Amino acid sequence: MSITFAATPRTRPPDTTARARSRRGRALRRNLTGWGFAAPATALVIGLSIFPAVWAFFISRTRWNGISAARPLGWDNYRNLVQDPDAAAAAQHTLLLTVLFVPGSILLGILLAVALNQKIRLIGFYRTCIFVPYVASAAATGILASFVFNPQFGAANEALRRLGLPQQGFLEDPGQALLVICLIALWGEVGFCTVIYLAALQDIPRELVEAATVDGASRLRVFFHITLPELRPVTVFTAIWQTITAMQLFDLIWTTTRGGPMNSTQTIVYYIYELAFQTQRLGYGAALAYLLFAVTMLLTLGVLFYSRRNGREAF
Amino acid sequence: MTTIWTRLLAGASAALVLSACSMNGTGGDDGDAAEGYDPAATVTITWWTGQTTDAETVAEKLAAEYHAAHPNVTIKTSPGATTTDDLLTKLSAGFAGGSYPDISYAFGSWAGELGASGRTQDLTSYVADASFAWSEMPAAARTTATVDGKVIGVPALVDNLALLYNKTLFDKAGLPYPTDQWTWDDFRSAAKKLTDPSTNTYGTAYSVSGSEDTTWHLWPLLWQNGGQILDSGGKPAFNSAAGVTSVELLRAMAVDDKSMYLDQTDEKYVPLFGSGHIGMIINGPWSLLDLKKDKVDYGVTILPGTGGDHQTVSGPDLWVLFNHDNANQAGASRDFVKWLTSKETDAKWNLSVGNLPLRTSEKDTPEFATYVKTWPGGQTFFDNLANAKQARPTVAGYESMSRNVGDALAKVLQGAAQPKQALDEAAKKSAPALEK
Repeated sequence: MSITFAATPRTRPPDTTARARSRRGRALRRNLTGWGFAAPATALVIGLSIFPAVWAFFISRTRWNGISAARPLGWDNYRNLVQDPDAAAAAQHTLLLTVLFVPGSILLGILLAVALNQKIRLIGFYRTCIFVPYVASAAATGILASFVFNPQFGAANEALRRLGLPQQGFLEDPGQALLVICLIALWGEVGFCTVIYLAALQDIPRELVEAATVDGASRLRVFFHITLPELRPVTVFTAIWQTITAMQLFDLIWTTTRGGPMNSTQTIVYYIYELAFQTQRLGYGAALAYLLFAVTMLLTLGVLFYSRRNGREAF
Repeated sequence: MTTIWTRLLAGASAALVLSACSMNGTGGDDGDAAEGYDPAATVTITWWTGQTTDAETVAEKLAAEYHAAHPNVTIKTSPGATTTDDLLTKLSAGFAGGSYPDISYAFGSWAGELGASGRTQDLTSYVADASFAWSEMPAAARTTATVDGKVIGVPALVDNLALLYNKTLFDKAGLPYPTDQWTWDDFRSAAKKLTDPSTNTYGTAYSVSGSEDTTWHLWPLLWQNGGQILDSGGKPAFNSAAGVTSVELLRAMAVDDKSMYLDQTDEKYVPLFGSGHIGMIINGPWSLLDLKKDKVDYGVTILPGTGGDHQTVSGPDLWVLFNHDNANQAGASRDFVKWLTSKETDAKWNLSVGNLPLRTSEKDTPEFATYVKTWPGGQTFFDNLANAKQARPTVAGYESMSRNVGDALAKVLQGAAQPKQALDEAAKKSAPALEK
């Protein structure tokens, strides 16, 4: 090729531009091909996630009922939120739910995963049993649970009666409803943690356990000094995941208590729903949604930074 | 990458600004939307019925019937949304996108919001015409259709609250049935006598979900005691002495007497009444369908009264007519709704799906005779329409206020607050939402 070029020096200048053009053309084509693959997904992400999210921010700075003209309010919605006792109560309920649900589901998940990691007969059946509630929709779980926990006619009180224990109000008692919901949520979600931990348990190098056993470590010591540390990245992941699940719990509350009794189970997400779609205060609801987003984001980033600093990456 | 992102963001925000503009209504529509309407013009109108299953089939048939009589008018009929509750969301999306129907079903509590959209027709002079016989419809329903002095729609359904009682339970307790002369004291003492914890039987029930079902059961009591929901300036007034007296009666029954089943969901008390666990409920004609299925021996009477005042509350729904800046569309939809709500057509529509008739003049139709025979108690509900003298306010903040009052009632009935304090708090919380 170069000889040909050398023999025809006069054609050289136009040829370089052609080559450059073709190189640019190839780069362009490559770029276009890339974007051709990425564009549909990008359009979806922008159209269905980013655009509504940005628009929600604009709405959060107005007073709007979805029908008549929106009135700009600046940061008033956010300022009112800080003083809203209902929002504070909802935040408390969400926090309590998260504090109970996340450690609960992780502990239960590890316990069940260890139990289901044994070599016993019918293990497949047991594993399925644990995972089934997770597959069932939270709506179905909620409806089923509200039958079980009905104070007048439910099975839970019937069981208490047989045991000679006092009757409980469960979902109709403001002091108990959130706890009962947490229990139902644990029942529904623990399958997820169990499956993740089960996979992680089976990923632990057998040599490590064998070496420790040869060195004379008891099973308990193996568990605390090898198994648990090996599970740590998975725990970071489940902690973040379950925190997000707890903070966004909605369908279960909708099907069991609708935020009642006396708003004792009204979480942030349920309050957002009520503001935006039941009392038509879209601006105020959007502002609260933005606050929730900010908090969730900060929490996630915090956990991620912490785990990176400690050299254990979960994501 | 960065340039592409900035460009995308710039594009997105430009689109946002545009859509932010379209968030605003069209604004002032002075003048008659149907000015220059030509009844012979070929026109297509869209009708969102808000109905599903059987009622929707009847609606389609009616639309076809109208089309047969007026071949130049085509009516595109659809339920509009999967449930009636979703219609408001669909409408607001339609306003944003500029594709809303000509006629839509709407809950009466939405009237304030829809009226404020600036997209409704002003029907004030249209319904004032003698041929419309506007006054044949219940006053409360007419008030609900009127927002800021403008009629924005025509009542589509009327109902009211009355007292339903289980005859079997009354007989068992040896009590006389409730009468039209009952006072709330009679109601309370009967409820007390009907209550029997050993069989899980309650004298009466009240919903404490905090929804509109909780709230509107309070309004008849408030009105009978001479109270008002809002004062003339549009500010909350339900926390007056009349309001406190009304809530105190309910509190005494729920907390002191324990004769009231507190329903957390709005959905349990009718089935429990049907299965004989509740002696009396205050409810509307829609529960007759369930009671018929449960084969319960029930009776219906008007609400207990205060000083001879037995007024009740009505929850009318509307056909709201929208303005598309097209005189023929506007005129045709008016004519269709006039036909739909006329004495003859309404008898075929509301009575056949188990609702009360819209017009007093329908009481002589054969359809009404069938209705009363099919639905025991239907006659009482119909007569009780005359007791619905006041209407819930049609203001944009009603939904918020209703939620606050509902929450307050739920607290009081569950013994967690005192009437005065709870109502004051609800009034304070509602004030910002009611500001214009």
